[in-house]
Amino acid sequence: METIKNATSPQSDLVVKNKKKFNVEVPLYMGPISFLLVGFVFAPLLIILFFSFLKTGLYGEIVYEFTMGNIKEILTGGSGIVFLNSFYLAVQTTILCLLLGYPLAYYIARYGGKWKVLLISMIVVPSWVAYLIRLYAFKTITGTNGIINNFLMDWGLISEPLTMLYTPGVVMVGLVYTWLPFMVLPLHAAMEGMEPSLLEAATDLGAHPVRRFFRITLPLSRGGAIAGSILVFIPTMGDWLVPALLGGSKVMMVGNLVAQKFTIAGNIPSGSSLAIMLAATLILILYLAIKWGGKEAMEKLV
Amino acid sequence: MKRKKIAPKILAGLSFLVYFFLWAPVIVIIIFSFSANRYGVSWDGFTMKWYADLVQNAAVKDALIRSTIIALVTVVVSTLIGTLTAYGLFKLHFKGKHFLRTSTLLPIVMPEVVTGAALLVFFTRFLNLPLGYPSIIIAHIVFSTPLAVFVILGRMQRIDWAWEEAAMDLGANRFRTFTRVIGPQLMPAIMAAAVLIFPWSFDDFVITYFVAGIGSTTLPIYVYSQMRFGATPIINTIGTLFVAVTIGALFLSRAIEKKNAGR
Repeated sequence: METIKNATSPQSDLVVKNKKKFNVEVPLYMGPISFLLVGFVFAPLLIILFFSFLKTGLYGEIVYEFTMGNIKEILTGGSGIVFLNSFYLAVQTTILCLLLGYPLAYYIARYGGKWKVLLISMIVVPSWVAYLIRLYAFKTITGTNGIINNFLMDWGLISEPLTMLYTPGVVMVGLVYTWLPFMVLPLHAAMEGMEPSLLEAATDLGAHPVRRFFRITLPLSRGGAIAGSILVFIPTMGDWLVPALLGGSKVMMVGNLVAQKFTIAGNIPSGSSLAIMLAATLILILYLAIKWGGKEAMEKLV
Repeated sequence: MKRKKIAPKILAGLSFLVYFFLWAPVIVIIIFSFSANRYGVSWDGFTMKWYADLVQNAAVKDALIRSTIIALVTVVVSTLIGTLTAYGLFKLHFKGKHFLRTSTLLPIVMPEVVTGAALLVFFTRFLNLPLGYPSIIIAHIVFSTPLAVFVILGRMQRIDWAWEEAAMDLGANRFRTFTRVIGPQLMPAIMAAAVLIFPWSFDDFVITYFVAGIGSTTLPIYVYSQMRFGATPIINTIGTLFVAVTIGALFLSRAIEKKNAGR
């Protein structure tokens, strides 16, 4: 039976060099990952999907009764605003990362020369250091008694410390800081593949550098820009630590709300519905972005 | 014609500012870990006192050991699963392969709060698994394995697969071929994945925060608990430790890569 099935099923991939048909190999190699994904990724998500339709009792206990109330609360109530706010912050962060990432990626790709590897590593290395620690340093820098304020006061530029910490502004800077490397790397990868002679040709034909950028560099690095935007937007929208540490209680993002519902408030159904909505929103955005960005962006991603 | 020479300089200047922006917090942590300032927020002269305190601190030692054990177990299990998966995805053809490959990305795409919260509810309300080592290690394996899969999958494209064919033509089955021929060739990639996953697991705060429960303090959770009491120099010293571990791991991975490329 197995043989017939294999013989008749069309091989979609042409690279197949399998002389023998497979039998126990698939479960042998794919078993562990399937177990991991089904048991500890899909199952937990299904559980919180289930919980998101349940009611909460007076003392935060779960009441096993069906309700749409949690979802309704997100769509109409205060959490909806937090969702929009997170979306807005994520869009702003992505745009800022594009604006900062483009010149940097372009500089490395075009003028990096033999320093390219070093320049790239210099972007990667800080991004791998625990971001809890780096955000703590951000607090040291921007706090009332922080480095910037001390510096400005020592030089007599200001007489009173500026309030930077716990403002939406510093949250945004923190988000850009945290996720910028994820923009630069795919952008750089896209620009590296560009034919330098195209730019030379454009220059020879008298194109202004600005025109050259918009007509050649930008269209050719589109895939990298889309990939980078996905890589920045998705973690930013779901971030918790940056608003929690730098925003205090003043700046709320969906991540904070989820964390709060699960840990402090202990309202699991409501937290679950928020988490599910967040995950669904991000997967939808990812799907649309890949569809719109096409295969080139996807290739840069994986 | 003059504009042509100015453009690279402007770009260089901008790039320098971005680099400064990216590195300033890391440098601040390192410098202030040697500052005599009692709160670790400004420079009051050089001292090694905080490092001496750090070595004496039993809670830190406890957390450090716990984080290291978790990271080591995570590295071993996730590179093992990652290797098998990458090989399967690269070589085998089966129904649902595309779906499996896409699903493997899910733990990377999922926001950490969602993964953490979902696992917390799953462990406490469904599996009744005690929070602590088991829950933390499982959670770390969940988010580290996809990384291993894609790192190893990426390197598989550069392997000389003729060896495999030769072994199989000589009568070795695929598993034997894998352990004897492909495995050794993949070793550098597996090592590279391992040294990337170690800091990934060692540094993780968000997911661990959800599934750790009470009493299982990892190093990042210890740092977080200290941060709530306000600024203390101990965070700077632990932070410097994190920087050292991470940079060490990255250099190690580069060295492995270079050795691999040289062959």
